[in-house]
Formats: sequence, structure tokens, C-alpha cells
Amino acid sequence: MSYQEIDAKMLSKMFLAGAKNLESKKEYINELNVFPVPDGDTGTNMTMTILSAAKEVTALGENPSMEDLCKAISSGSLRGARGNSGVILSQLFRGLTKVIKPYHSLNVAVISESCEKAVETAYKAVMKPKEGTILTVAKGISDKAKELASEGVTDLEVFMEKVLEHGKYVLSQTPELLPVLKQAGVVDSGGQGLIEVISGAYDALLGKEIDYSSLEQESDAGQKPVAEAPEEAEIKFGYCTEFLILLNKNFNIKTEMDFKAYLESIGDSIVCVCDGETVKIHVHTNDPGLALQKGLKFGQLSNIKIDNMRLEHEERVQKAAEKSVEKPIEKEEPKQPPKKVGFIAISAGDGLSEIFKSIGVDYVIEGGQTMNPSTADILDAVDRVNAENVFILPNNKNIILAARQAAELMTDKNLLVIPTKTIPQGITAVINYMDGSSVDENEEVMISEIAKVKTGQVTYAVRDTVIDDKEIKKDDYMGVGDNGILANGKDLTEVVLETVAAMADEDSELISVYYGSDVSEEDAEAIRERIADAWPNLDVELQNGGQPIYYYLVSVE
Amino acid sequence: MSKIAIVTDSNSGITQKEAKELGIYVLPMPFMIGNELYYEDINLTQEQFYEKLLGGENISTSQPSPEEVCKLWDSLLKEYDEIVHIPMSSGLSGSCQSALMLAQDYDGRVQVVDNQRISVTQRRSCQDALELAASGLDAKAIKDFLVKDKFNSSIYIMLDTLQYLKKGGRITPAAAAIGTLLKLKPVLQIQGEKLDAFSKARTTSQGKAVMIGAIKNDVETRFGGILPAPGGVWLQIAHTHNEEAALALKEELLEVFPGYDIYIAPLSLSVSCHIGPGSLAIACCKKISY
Repeated sequence: MSYQEIDAKMLSKMFLAGAKNLESKKEYINELNVFPVPDGDTGTNMTMTILSAAKEVTALGENPSMEDLCKAISSGSLRGARGNSGVILSQLFRGLTKVIKPYHSLNVAVISESCEKAVETAYKAVMKPKEGTILTVAKGISDKAKELASEGVTDLEVFMEKVLEHGKYVLSQTPELLPVLKQAGVVDSGGQGLIEVISGAYDALLGKEIDYSSLEQESDAGQKPVAEAPEEAEIKFGYCTEFLILLNKNFNIKTEMDFKAYLESIGDSIVCVCDGETVKIHVHTNDPGLALQKGLKFGQLSNIKIDNMRLEHEERVQKAAEKSVEKPIEKEEPKQPPKKVGFIAISAGDGLSEIFKSIGVDYVIEGGQTMNPSTADILDAVDRVNAENVFILPNNKNIILAARQAAELMTDKNLLVIPTKTIPQGITAVINYMDGSSVDENEEVMISEIAKVKTGQVTYAVRDTVIDDKEIKKDDYMGVGDNGILANGKDLTEVVLETVAAMADEDSELISVYYGSDVSEEDAEAIRERIADAWPNLDVELQNGGQPIYYYLVSVE
Repeated sequence: MSKIAIVTDSNSGITQKEAKELGIYVLPMPFMIGNELYYEDINLTQEQFYEKLLGGENISTSQPSPEEVCKLWDSLLKEYDEIVHIPMSSGLSGSCQSALMLAQDYDGRVQVVDNQRISVTQRRSCQDALELAASGLDAKAIKDFLVKDKFNSSIYIMLDTLQYLKKGGRITPAAAAIGTLLKLKPVLQIQGEKLDAFSKARTTSQGKAVMIGAIKNDVETRFGGILPAPGGVWLQIAHTHNEEAALALKEELLEVFPGYDIYIAPLSLSVSCHIGPGSLAIACCKKISY
């Protein structure tokens, strides 16, 4: 069957299939991180972004109007946007839906125009667009779409096949545009994510069987937990079990049938889909272990997710009850007149939260390296700060865009994003706030002051790689500076000292060391002494940051 | 033309020696250190004071006793017709309040100036008073002039530590609240009544930049702009036990105010015991015109 046009129903299906496909490749995309730091979460961020939209799309039912569908995709992804790639993805959707919203059905010409708008919107959202990223892939796709439209292609299957093929080609070329990708031997992770979305959508167009079940579950849990709480009916199989098998053995039709038969013997609601490299398994069973063991025979497992559906059901009922009690209380005490200026910082770790609060930050969003807060999370936090102007300190380069997006969506308060890329920059920004000056003056001062802080973040490598011509082995310690790797090696103390050495110069006055949750106070104190010995003329300050993943955050100013 | 004596206290930073040269009378501030009473610049030098402060001795300040104040006034009024008395800021000490009360018994011959100055700016007020007296104003007119002029000055102080300030209590809660976990160098402002938090810095050079920026802003927006030297303002630097840094700060300040005559003095001890050693301050006063 070939299509000249697609309607809202089909588009909805394609969108959900795209979301689904991205979700299933999430881990793989996470691992495409250039820096081998344990914070690669492009896949997670993009997935959470698109799932937020998928939730709203599923809530519309099977036959949405084009306008409602577009609204759901656009607002859902904008609010759910996390991380830079997530924000860019949400902007692509925003541009795309802007064009298609007035149509009942879409042909090649409309789609090509919408792609162009999508790319234009996304480029605008990024301050300094970089080539060799998701933007380049999106641009390639849009250019190809335009070319095909002008050549008179009208068959959408042909159109999508060609577009996808070209997108994959552009993706494969990203290492040529971004040397860091080439050195690390990976393609751009955000670009890969975009390709997965389009592949999923293409599969849906071709009529391939897509398992939407987990999407629907997500939407149940998030969107309408009360109304759609599962009926009281007894649950026969208690554990919803999902995982991927990264195949290292042949998995043909015969093995697939055998596997399915086995799963049927231990449960129901079975999904077993193979795409050549991975097998996706979904089963409701009373013994998840059996399913996992069976899977292990064919390769490594990933994305294992086991939920106790009986408990979840009870929780859901309970939560619904609690919510009706909680809601009025949450409405807060009678509003005091808003203060002029408030601060929100994004940070992970008890110690760092305490530090931020002690210098005047009103609300700390837990997050950072491992968990980028979404635009919606930031907006929620803003709601809790009763101030006319709210400064936001993202403290991570991957959160700045989401914060900016929040600032654009916010209407009743003035949000100002100070683009802090590290925790020490955030601390410096708050410290330089002056009560007497205007908001604009403060913004200017903070932005100029953060440029004077040098930060080094010490963690471990999750895989072998080469960056900045430095060969790094898995599990090596690394000091990551503002512009690349400052030090690496097997000895943590040496790496910390080398990291400091790479940052300190004759103008430096203060070295601040924030030790993480995996470091003992004694070890941290010992490092402080080593630093103080090596730089006798500088003040050295040690603080318990309590941050995960990064053993030490060090700043020199 | 009446013969006018200018009286101040040792918070002005005017030493007994300097006072004689200028023709000003300086009441020494009393200090209780341990169980002993000392008088600033009489039997307590700056060096001795910091030695005791750093040694952790409990130092408390008080105001000159009414007896001492009246004794000085009485003896001066034998020689002079009137007195202009310029005590330390009423926001920081009860000295001014007491003096105002005592002056009520002197039938207007003693005019107490409540212009909320301290240290180098208080010193400047005394010099202004001398100038005004020489130009023929009487004590009441001098007082009125100085009180009207009180906001034409500004002081920014960067502390090395919050330790002493917390013990003291002569600051607003806002200033006391800053920097509980991180080591910060608070920049305080004396503007009118109280010492309040202005900004904060993590390093000395950041703090100096904040102060220089603030003074520059004051001069540009409130005191008639940065005129070519000698300029329309008096610039001063004060410090607690920190002379070398004060000299370096002077050089930096001269880059913004080229050719200006910048006066450097140690902060008076009753301020020092509240803020501790290692601080730096920049002050400015608008030059008077009459």
C-alpha cells in the first residue's frame, strides 16, 4: 500500500512509533557520549522529552484532530524537554507542527515545508549552532525532503525511505565535521536519536507491528492516574518485565518462536521483537528471573525494568486518595507580596545544596550530571519561588537550553538564565549578586564574573577513548576542565593535583575543593593538604559537596 | 567672630599628635581589655591593640564617660566661645546620644553634630569644620552645614573574616546572615546609620574590584562625576592592620582617579575590634562648598 497523504490518525501512530523506537535505543545512544564520563544521557534526555509528548498524544485517543495532535506534540515535548538534544528535538517538533497544524492531511510538499520550518526553529533556539550535531542531521533531512518534493516525488513511502537513508548518511558524516566525535570514534548521539525517531515513524507508515504497550502504560502512570486506574480485577501475573537482549547469538524465526512459547508458559502479554541486533522482550509473569535467564542465553541484557504491578496498583489507588487530601495544603500559605529577586540553582548533592542555600538561593532543583531537569521541572521550581524576577543557575552546560526554554514559556515572572556551566560558576554568580543594583546590572555582573572562574571536575572514564590527543583507559581518573581534559591517570590524588596545576596561575588567589559522596572526609582533607603544600601562597578551601559521580569539583579563581 | 573649638573622639583616626598640629581636640575612646581600662592613643597603641585582639582577649568598647566629656568641654570653654563636637556615628555608638544630652546644659555653646560619620569620613568632617570656622561661621551654622552634608559620603569595607562581626552585633541581620558555609569576604557599606551588607566576594581582588566599582559609581552618580585632579571629592583608604594591602589598593584606585590625593589611615580601634584585622576600606566625601 502506498500513501500520497497521511492523516492525523496515521501521524499520531507514526509519532508514537518514533517515540517507542527512540526509547528502545536509549541506552545505545547514551553510550555515544564523547567524553567518557559517566553522564552520557543524551538517549535518556531525548526519550524523556519525546515520552512527555507521547503521553499527551496517547491521551487524545486514536482519532485526534490534526490541530490537537500538533498541540500535544509541541507543548508536550517543550515542557518535557531535558538536556540540549532534548531541547533541540522539542524545537524541531515545534517548528514542524507550526506548519502542519492547519492541514487535515499531509503530502510531500507540506512535509517538506514543515521540515524546513523545524530546522529553522531549532537553529534559532541554539545560541551558537554547531555543525556535526543533531542540527546538521535535521538540516540534511530537510534539504533532502525539499529536493525530493521539487523532483515531484509524491509517494510518501518512497519519500520517507530516501529521506531516512540520506539522514543516516549525514549522521555517518558527523565525525568529519566534529573532530571530537572522530577521535572518540562515535557519531553524534543527538543525531542518532533523531534518526531513531524517524525510523520508528517510517516503520509505522510501512504498517509494521509496533508495540505501544509500554507507552500506554507510561501515559497511564503520568497523565491520568486516577481516572484510568486499572479496574479492581485480580492481577494474574504480578511482574511486568521488560528487557533488551543485545544479541551475540543467532536469533532466527525458529528461536523467536521457541522463545515466545517459553514466555507463554510462564506468563502473558508477551512481546518478542527482533531487529537483527537486539531483541525486545516484554512479559507479565510471576517469576521474572526465568525470563531473564532465558534471555541471557542469547546475549547481554540491558534496559531491564521490572515492576510489581500488584503493588503499583495499590500505590496508585493510595496516591489518588492522598492527592485529594494533599492538594489543598500544597496551595501554600496566604501569598506574601513577592520579593524582587529570587534564585534557583540546579545541583546534585546535599553539601552543594546547603552551600547554595547558605548564600541565598531560594530553591535547589536536585539534578545535574546524571539527571537533567526538564523545562517543566524548572517551571515547577519557579512556581515555588515567590519573586518577580528569578535568576536560574543551570550549573551544567546540558541544562542551559532547557532553562532558557523555561524562561521563554514563563509569562508571569521574569526568568533570567545565567549560563553557568559548572557548580563553582553558579556559586560565584550568586556571590556576586548585589542587592542594591538593578536586575539588569546584576545579570551583567554575574555573567562577566562567571567567566573568571576556572573549574576542574574529577571523575572516572567509562570506556577507552582518545580526547585532545590524550589516551584514556576505562576506569582511569580524569580531570575535565572548562575546555577539555586537564589530567588523567590511575592515581586519584595525582589527577587532582594535575588538574589544579592546569588551572592555577600567578593571578590565582583561591582554590576551592568540593568533595563528592564517594570520597571520605579524611581522603579529602589529605588532598587539601597536598594542594596547600603545592600552592603555599593560595588559600585552599575544602567543602563537602556530596555530589555523585564527580569525586572532586575544583575551582580556581 | 566667635572663637570655636572643634572636638571629636579618637574614632576619627586623628591622633593626639596630629590633633595638636590641626588645632582639634580628641577624646580618647576607652577600651576594656580583660579587666583593664585603656584609652586609645593614650596608653594603647595600634600594635598593642592587635596583639591583644589576635591573642583572643576579650575586648569591649564603651563611650567616653560623661565626666571626661564635660571636663574637656569645661576647660575648652574657658578659652573658646563655642564648641563644635563631632562624635562617631550615632548608628554605631551611643556617644552621640550622650553628647547631645550633655550639651543641653551648655546653653547652645556646645553644638553636637549628628552626621553619622566614622573614621576617615569623621576626620574629614573635623577638617571641614575647621575650614567653616575659619570662614566665619558660628558653631550652630557649622553644625547645620555638616548635618545637611551628612549623606555626601560613602564608605565600603571589605572584611577578611566574619568572625569578629558575628560577635559584635553592630550590623543588620542581612549582613550577619551572609556566608555561613563558604569562606567569603563580605563587602559592607556605611551609608548613614548602620553597617550593612553591600556585596560579597570570594577573593581579595574581587572584593577590591567591587569597592572600586562602587565608589566610582557613587562619584559618578551622586558626587558630581570624576573631575580631573584634584577632583570634587576627597578619597580615603582605611584598613585594619593591613597597611601593605592599603598601599597596593591606593595604586589601583589611582588608575580610576588619576592624580587624586588619596589619604590612607588605619581604621579606628573601636571599628577594628568589631571587624577584625585584615580589612580594607575605601571612602569618599564630597568636597564642601559654602
